[in-house]
Amino acid sequence: MATTLTAVPSLNDLSLYIPELKTRRKDSALAELVARAHDAGTVRDAGLLLELLRVREKVGGSALGKGVAVPHARSVTVLRPQLLVARALQGIDWSAPDHTPVTLILLALSPAEWSEEAHHAFLGRAVGAARLQRNRQRLLAASSFDAMATVLRELSA
Amino acid sequence: MSAATAAPPAPPLPTAVHLADLDLLLRELADPAARARLRKFGFDVAGLSRLESARARSAAALEPRWLALYERLRLRYGRAVAAVRARVCLGCFVTLPTTARPPLSADTHLRVCENCGRIHYWG
Repeated sequence: MATTLTAVPSLNDLSLYIPELKTRRKDSALAELVARAHDAGTVRDAGLLLELLRVREKVGGSALGKGVAVPHARSVTVLRPQLLVARALQGIDWSAPDHTPVTLILLALSPAEWSEEAHHAFLGRAVGAARLQRNRQRLLAASSFDAMATVLRELSA
Repeated sequence: MSAATAAPPAPPLPTAVHLADLDLLLRELADPAARARLRKFGFDVAGLSRLESARARSAAALEPRWLALYERLRLRYGRAVAAVRARVCLGCFVTLPTTARPPLSADTHLRVCENCGRIHYWG
C-alpha cells in the first residue's frame, strides 16, 4: 500500500530539513528543531513550544523504535501545520523502546485551532511514512538537499 | 521587606499560553479514543500524572486574578487562549478594531477579546 502525505504542506519546504543535527542529546536536538521552525516563521514563541515538547517527552517518549522519533505538539504558538525532518547519523539516545539510537526525527507541529482528529491524522501520516523501512533508508541515505527533496516529493505525491 | 524592593510581576501571557497548551494535551490524553490512536502509532502515553503535575505548576505560576479569568474561560469555551491572526480572533473569528494592538513583551496584563472574552495571543 502506498503511503501518501498529501495533506502535509511542509514536506517540500527544505528550509525545514536539517541534514545533520549538531547535537547528540535529545533535549538539544528538540531545541535545534524548534529554533529552525521559529526561523521559518512556523512558531511564534520557540521557548514555549520547546517547554511543551519537553513535557510531552516526560509524559511518554516520542521514539518509535528502529531509529525513528516523531516528537509532536499542538500549540497556540504554532502558526500552521508543519513537519520538520532532521537526521542525526551518529545517533541520539531517545529512550526508544528497542534501545536503538535515533537517526531520523520528524517533528510534527499543529496549531491549537486544529482538532484532535486532524492533528492525529497529520501525525499518523508522518508516523506511517517513517515506519516503512524503504522510506527510512531513502531519507537517511539522501546525500543532498535535492535528493531529500526528491524523496519528500515522492512521499507527497 | 518593603514593597518597593519587590520584583515586578512576571508577564502573565507566556504562562497562560503554556497552561493552555498543557490543557490541550491533557484533554487529548484523557480521551480514551485519542490515547488508543497514539498507542497504535507507537507512542507511550503512560505518564499522565507528570502532565498533571506540570499543569499544576504552571497554574500556580499565574497570578490568582489571571488564573481565575483563565479557568472561567476554559470552562466556558474549552480553550481560554485564542491566537490573533491578521487581526482576527481565532476564538470567535471577529475582526478586531483597528485600535487593538499586540501587547508589549513586558505587559503585566492579559488582553482579552472584546467580543468573546478569550485571552488573546498575537502572532
